[in-house]
Amino acid sequence: MVDIGFGNKVISLIGVGKSYRSYTRDIDRALEILTGKVRHYQYDALQPLSLQVAKGEVIGVVGKNGAGKSTLLKLLAGTLQPSSGQLEINGRVSAILELGASFHPEMTGHDNVYLTCAIQGLSRQETAAAYEAIVNFAGIGEFMQRPVKTYSSGMVMRLAFAIATHVDPDILIIDEALSVGDGVFARRSFDRIMEFRQAGKTIFFCSHSLYQVEALCDRVLWLDGGRVRAEGAPAKVITAYGDFLQQESAIVQPPLVTATATATAEAEAEAASTANTVATPVAAQAVPRVMAVKVRVDGTEARVHAVQSGKSRIEVEVRFLSVAALPVPSVGLVILGGDGRYVASMGTVNDGIALRAGADLTGSVMVTLPDFPLLKGCYVIEVYLLCEQGLHIYERVRQVAELNVEQRGLELGIVTLPHQWQVL
Amino acid sequence: MTFLLRLLRLCADSLSIPLLAPVKHRALVRMLVQREIASRTSGTALGRLWPLLQPALQILGFWFLFAVVYDMRNVRGPGFAQYMLLSMLPWLCFSEVLVRATGLFREFSPLFTRSRFPLEVLPTMALVMPMLVYTPVLVLTAMWLLGLVAALKAVVVIPLLLVWTLPLVLLCAVAGLFVRDFGQALPFVLTLLMYLTPILYFPDMLPAGMRIWLWLNPMSDWMLLIHAWLNGGVLPLESVARLLALWLLLLVPCWLWFRRTELHVRELL
Repeated sequence: MVDIGFGNKVISLIGVGKSYRSYTRDIDRALEILTGKVRHYQYDALQPLSLQVAKGEVIGVVGKNGAGKSTLLKLLAGTLQPSSGQLEINGRVSAILELGASFHPEMTGHDNVYLTCAIQGLSRQETAAAYEAIVNFAGIGEFMQRPVKTYSSGMVMRLAFAIATHVDPDILIIDEALSVGDGVFARRSFDRIMEFRQAGKTIFFCSHSLYQVEALCDRVLWLDGGRVRAEGAPAKVITAYGDFLQQESAIVQPPLVTATATATAEAEAEAASTANTVATPVAAQAVPRVMAVKVRVDGTEARVHAVQSGKSRIEVEVRFLSVAALPVPSVGLVILGGDGRYVASMGTVNDGIALRAGADLTGSVMVTLPDFPLLKGCYVIEVYLLCEQGLHIYERVRQVAELNVEQRGLELGIVTLPHQWQVL
Repeated sequence: MTFLLRLLRLCADSLSIPLLAPVKHRALVRMLVQREIASRTSGTALGRLWPLLQPALQILGFWFLFAVVYDMRNVRGPGFAQYMLLSMLPWLCFSEVLVRATGLFREFSPLFTRSRFPLEVLPTMALVMPMLVYTPVLVLTAMWLLGLVAALKAVVVIPLLLVWTLPLVLLCAVAGLFVRDFGQALPFVLTLLMYLTPILYFPDMLPAGMRIWLWLNPMSDWMLLIHAWLNGGVLPLESVARLLALWLLLLVPCWLWFRRTELHVRELL
């Protein structure tokens, strides 16, 4: 453990960079180590980066694939060494990177807990003290004396996640997933990470979910081509990154309309029988789930709608099943454009609406969009069932409806803003 | 002055880090040994007996060949089979350790490329299992051939030999990683070295013109030392000094090479 001695800072990177070396022959590597003479070509995965992280900060890392996010996380996790600069970490690090990677299939769950904790640097006494909590959290008590090779992949993930979050880390590194597993365990793992946040632990969170990054992080780092493109307040960095992605997608991404149209044709056949109930398969888990979504345009219920811009009234009704042990969930709705961009979104948490569930644990909510303001084009509606905080996704229902918007006027753009003309 | 201080620091690190690693990371070493036993014995009827049975059966085979088939007791006297068996076991242990060391980084790469795994533990892992296997087998063999006192003395033979082997383990681990041919050639080199070491013959059986090999080969010193120790003879101090000097001479550069490799192995594997 390095005492970096600068107040409450737990991570210090000063000019930390990572280059990978490439050699023509394996022996060149050995000769370089022996003689010190450079015999490699190198490419930079991470340009020199300086960053100070205080205790309790939640840092988000965003960037496209190959931007250097995983390299940065691996450097922090200690599985890679920096090629340059000074990296100092003050505290125990636990990384949710490759869950279960250190497990040995022939060893029992019990022994794998002790092995993984030993790799993390825990003594047997420390592991013994945490063991009960790990087993309880993973919820696979009866399997702990069996070899891990007999576990399902879900059980391996649960045990690995339980270990990673019960070794009392000061710094938690999360690559992509805020929750692991499915159903009840996904919610529990999400709650566990939220507990870390509330307990003032430092979290490094790398994700493609910009919504979650913005909602959770105190500071966001945007990496691009191994360089820091922007760093700062989440709203500012995420907006800039979102704009960048949209510019990129305008160049490279094929329009969604084609996919949607194809999917719609298949969905229409299905829709006749399901009558707008949810097509997404739902796991039989004790977590809230969407029971039905109905989309009405000017009072007509269908899956594909013709919509008049500025005139049609759209109603989206979501019926859900809550769970007694959990708070009543929240609902979110997203409208995507034909190119896959988010055009608009709305959520009950954001709008301060608390949902209710009846004695049978079911509940309903309806959102109305009067005088639909989007201009001509094809749009798709997605519905999300989320936790009461609006962060953890229980269920995502894609393409609940397709809106083919027509307009009479010649306005340009995608939306008509509320406006007034005054002749002066 | 600074250079001297750095050199002293390096020497101290070379001695302390690899030698204290099994103590510092004892919980990890213990679990890794369990992991290895599970890998080697899972699904077998005899389970944990197998690692011990393998060298024991090998020794029985050698005994059958040399003592019964070739009847070396009558050819070279009653002490030959005893000499050969007590030489062969440390040699088998030594060669097994070196051959395994050539694949050490690759064997443990799933652990150190995906988790914060202390690489200084790796040399220990090449040594600890052979120590646990060969020590009891050598003790039982010494008991069978020489009696209780020799058996008690035999307890320290394999651990001391393995500590001495440490620089060679570091060397083989790095060489085996970067030069694949090294791992292929090593078993052959070790077989040659075995024939140049007085294991299957008494040292005085080597033709006079070839005795220089005995002096050049540190394993000959080990054989002298082991037999003197187990038989209650006078310890050959010249051999002790030569082995110690060689060990100290090799440990620092080998450790340095191993440490410099750390940056590379996490990228390479």
